[in-house]
Amino acid sequence: MKRRHLIIAPAVLTAVFWGGMGLAQDKVLRFATWDSDESLAIQEAIAKKFEEANPGVKVQVEAYGDGYDDKLTAAMGAGSPPDVMYMWNFPSYKEALLPLNDFIARDGEAMNLADIPEGLMNISKIDGNIYGMPAGFTTQVVFYNKDMFAAAGVPEPQAGWTWADLRAGAAKFRNADEKVYGFAVDAKPDPYDFEQFLWSNGTRYISDDGKTIDGLMNSPEAAEVLNMFADMIKTEEAVALNIGDDTSGSALFKAGKIAMFQSAMWSKSGIDESGVNYGVVMLPSFGGKPVHSAIGASAVSIAKDSADPELAWEFVKFFSSPEAVAMRTNDLPVRTSVAEAQGMQDDPIFKPFFDMLAVSNKEIHAFLKNAEWGRIQENLAVAIEATMIDQGNAQAHLDEAVAASARFLK
Amino acid sequence: MPMRRTLGYGALIFLTALFVAPFLWTLITALKSEAELYAYPPVFWPERLRWENFSNAWTALPFTTFLKNSMIVVVLSTLGQLASSSLVAYGFARFQFPGRDPLFILLLATMMIPWDVKMIPLYMEFNYLGWINTLKPLIVPAWFGEAFFIFLLRQYIMTIPMEIDEAARMDGANAWQIYWRIHLPLMAPALVLVGTFHFMNAWNDYLGPLIYLNDQTTYTLPLGLALFKGLHEVDYISIAAITVILCLPPLALFFYAQRYIMDNALGSSVKG
Amino acid sequence: MATATATRRPSRRKARGAGITPWLFISPWILGFLFFTLGPLVFSFVMSLHDWPVVGTRTFIGFENYTTMVQDDPQFWKSLWITVKFGALFVPLNIVLSFLLAVLLNLNLRGTAIYRTAFYLPSVISGVALVTIWAWIYSKEYGLLNYLLSFAGIDGPNWLGDRTWAIVAITVASLWGLGGSMLIFLAGLQSIPKELYEAARVSGVPPWAQITFITLPMLSPMILFTLITSIISAFQQLTIALLLTDGGPVNSTYFFAMYIYKTAFRFHDMGYAAAMSWVMFLIILALSMLVMRWSAAWVYYEGQARKDDADA
Repeated sequence: MKRRHLIIAPAVLTAVFWGGMGLAQDKVLRFATWDSDESLAIQEAIAKKFEEANPGVKVQVEAYGDGYDDKLTAAMGAGSPPDVMYMWNFPSYKEALLPLNDFIARDGEAMNLADIPEGLMNISKIDGNIYGMPAGFTTQVVFYNKDMFAAAGVPEPQAGWTWADLRAGAAKFRNADEKVYGFAVDAKPDPYDFEQFLWSNGTRYISDDGKTIDGLMNSPEAAEVLNMFADMIKTEEAVALNIGDDTSGSALFKAGKIAMFQSAMWSKSGIDESGVNYGVVMLPSFGGKPVHSAIGASAVSIAKDSADPELAWEFVKFFSSPEAVAMRTNDLPVRTSVAEAQGMQDDPIFKPFFDMLAVSNKEIHAFLKNAEWGRIQENLAVAIEATMIDQGNAQAHLDEAVAASARFLK
Repeated sequence: MPMRRTLGYGALIFLTALFVAPFLWTLITALKSEAELYAYPPVFWPERLRWENFSNAWTALPFTTFLKNSMIVVVLSTLGQLASSSLVAYGFARFQFPGRDPLFILLLATMMIPWDVKMIPLYMEFNYLGWINTLKPLIVPAWFGEAFFIFLLRQYIMTIPMEIDEAARMDGANAWQIYWRIHLPLMAPALVLVGTFHFMNAWNDYLGPLIYLNDQTTYTLPLGLALFKGLHEVDYISIAAITVILCLPPLALFFYAQRYIMDNALGSSVKG
Repeated sequence: MATATATRRPSRRKARGAGITPWLFISPWILGFLFFTLGPLVFSFVMSLHDWPVVGTRTFIGFENYTTMVQDDPQFWKSLWITVKFGALFVPLNIVLSFLLAVLLNLNLRGTAIYRTAFYLPSVISGVALVTIWAWIYSKEYGLLNYLLSFAGIDGPNWLGDRTWAIVAITVASLWGLGGSMLIFLAGLQSIPKELYEAARVSGVPPWAQITFITLPMLSPMILFTLITSIISAFQQLTIALLLTDGGPVNSTYFFAMYIYKTAFRFHDMGYAAAMSWVMFLIILALSMLVMRWSAAWVYYEGQARKDDADA
């Protein structure tokens, strides 16, 4: 008698769930993003706008946050990716993405592609195929706390400054009792962003043909960059971030524990909220050599397996339209016209970001050059971290990374 | 004897402090302002207890929906786990049948398969069944028993003397009746334990929901919590607030359930 | 007790045990195994014989993934060694500490319900939150632990940023969740007949001997359970290390399970990840079989004692 319950229960459950599926009349377009919080709200608003313009279409915004890569890997591996998705790691996923060349050739003129800086289009281009449309971007800059500079009597940094200037200024803020520092060095940086310092010092991780790292990744110029940051930790000009904890630079900057903080657009809204009186300046140079920035771009791509690529393309088009680009207040507009209309290039806070973009179209990020870059980067990251922990000895660590990576370059 | 008691209390109080302190720290963090979060020396008592942090965090995302989904998953899968695991454990503990031992080893082995590689094939299977973006992948498998719980219950049954079964059998009970009338009640402490464990696992599960659920209407609480951790910026105060809220149901359940695990007069009744 | 019952050895057992009944009882698991485990298992083995990117062309390469792992991949051996070190720390500590806590709580001192809840408290905190809490505690500059140590005049190390301390710090964070094992022991303690202790006390057996000669043997099935499941969880340790140190500093906490995870989800090399998973699976299986075999020497099953006699 009682036993029957066990058998019935799953049947009932099944019925309940099938019943709850609802009747889907709308065409559903799945759109996946890694953003959360405000940036997510902005994208939901853009999706809403698109729905209004396209009756009968429902955009299902799927926010995976921090688990974005796990989720996307599983979905793609199993052959059911979202129709449209945020993308940056094109080499890893390109086989599952739809090249947009034909669509662009067809609608390119209407989209006014000349309005989008070429440096941003390069980010999603592999072997001539364009796998994504840029939707927003950021370059790297230095935020500084104006009140702290005034209180310490240190002159505010100016564009064209050098790392030596930064270090000299930073030393003046150190207060051991209050745990205050002049600057923060990320001891475990994302190698993607970190390559900007090698560029700015006249070298790079990997050759443009993607075959050689020996003599580049472990060049004296590269070692010099690593040793400089390690030395800043040693002399306490900077606090080391990310050795062992996830104290974030932006949190310290907001709390007035560091006077300068190298970061990007993603920190700006949080700093605005904190009420810190801050300024923004371009990255410092290595003794006057030309300075470069990493470009962090969010692009939107279409899955090859999408059931309705035409509709997906309509959405992508809308996403990079001036109307949608203008709505994205949490990163920078990929369209020059939008930036101009908002007067951003003249705004002291935004100008340094655009100035950085203007000088950062010459280098190609390493991961676009070699399919095994993920593995190589792992060794590189260890070398950077080891240098920061040992407070020096970069050359040996970099040589080790190059040797350990040899098997991925065969 | 009093000496032993004193020592016992001393140890208990010290250990309690050790185990509870991080939780209290989380609670206090949830009540802080952003400035107090990174103040040094650390702020042990915020200037003003910001209880509104809780409601702000809860309403920042559709947490009520997440709660509903979590409840559905947890209740239905726990029921399934209890029913199936106890049946299977009884089968392994109390019967001799050809192939039992290799099968049991196989059962143990299923605990050892790394999650990473099982996931994509499972995803394909659930996708084929049309279960992706529903709560089914999080519920249905529980109705087929999980090795960890089967093993636990089997070990427990095997501490129960065989003559109890013998006696019942003499009275004409069949295997099902022995399971239902004798072992299920005797297993009560272990069953409550299994229920508590499974409840907690399902309640806190992050990877399963992350992989199988797509849009926010189907999200569970841990997925909602993770949404405060963006790629670049982390909302620590909201994480702390939701963490505290998330702990309460399993904790309340445990506080209530523990007397069924522990204070049961089982020891004497079995042997009596 | 076992000797007393052994004299009433029933002879009809075998006849009764056979037939379809046991299969009915275990059928849920058999079905579940066929539906949700066997397929993925076979699939992952097939994967391990391929160069299998998440997307794109798959190439059959035989056992090359396995030979690469053993011959050309130093990280494989390093990660394996880190995992073994962690297991050697975690498994014994987890069992001994949770056993001691359970015995302590079983004294039935006043307020036991509160203490039990306190010890179980960390086990109900989800992974993401747990890790955030430990990050606050361990942080070198702004952390709670080093702040407290500073009162004792100790300049605390960078717990998670030091090549030697990091694995210890992760072990401690993992042990913090031993409430589960403790509960299992507590539940096991309840099924020990009180008369045994009564008799021992009357004959003047000291408390430590009661633990050695009554508690430990009677609890041995649960100890076996905890031993095997602790070994498994030591090998599968991922979340805490991934979120707390991400393998660092300088790969000193780059666990085997983390290497598998990153190979699959960061490097998208599913074939290699599957091959490593199979190696891990076989290692755990071999260890568990050894433990099971060894356990015959020390695990005492009240409910099985006579059955072995009967089969003999």
